[in-house]
Amino acid sequence: MKRPLLILLAALSLGAMIFAGAYFASRRTCEMCQAKPADNLAWLQMEFHLSDTEMARIRTLHESYLPQCAALCNRIAAQQDELDRLPATGTYAGSAAQAISNEIVRLRAQCQAQMLQHFVMVSQAMPPEAGRRYLAKMRELTLGTNLPMEQAMPSMPGAASHDHHP
Amino acid sequence: MKNPSDQPADRPLSELLREARVSPALPPRFQESVWRLIEASPAPARTAGWLESLAALLLRPRFAVAAATALLFAGILLGSHEGSQLARQDAQARYVAAVMPGSLR
Repeated sequence: MKRPLLILLAALSLGAMIFAGAYFASRRTCEMCQAKPADNLAWLQMEFHLSDTEMARIRTLHESYLPQCAALCNRIAAQQDELDRLPATGTYAGSAAQAISNEIVRLRAQCQAQMLQHFVMVSQAMPPEAGRRYLAKMRELTLGTNLPMEQAMPSMPGAASHDHHP
Repeated sequence: MKNPSDQPADRPLSELLREARVSPALPPRFQESVWRLIEASPAPARTAGWLESLAALLLRPRFAVAAATALLFAGILLGSHEGSQLARQDAQARYVAAVMPGSLR
């Protein structure tokens, strides 16, 4: 009775070791082979099966977008610093804070519009089907992140006009 | 070779012997008692049986090699699938971080 049980347990452990060894080794190898830490655009080529010519066009678009994006980000950061430096109380501080907050919201909207414009341009540099897929994915990944927060907000009095938003 | 009973002189003896071979009568309720004995006999140990046969199967070199190869391939397939998914997710996160400014996150 004991010997067959030992054989069974030994076989099970050996099988588990073989499976686990093969699983972790191939997972690590695959991760290392596919990862290109230096290239942020590697995902596009991997996901949308783009040719080198298409990738070169997209890279140019990406490189021209980054400085514009950084400029807007710097302006938002500067406004944020100004808002942080304002005194906590006082009528002047209140109105100034309001003005700065409005400016931050405006800059963020501009930044978002610029980002969406970039996505459209990148999608146009791809084959039509891949472009559609890219746009849908980027909308989901970038704009989709705000949806749970917006849906969780309680409905405010006088905010009925916002109900038509998806 | 000639059978001794084929001799004409032995024929009456053979017939006599054939007639003398009587089958004894079975005791009363013979069949019932046989079944009772069968039912009362202990059943063979089944647990030890399947465990032993499984152990014997595992010890067969052909089966052992086939099972190890199957596990190896299953591990490689699953691991490479998982690895490529992870690499893809990582690359996707890097791209999104590159195009989506921190101020919008």
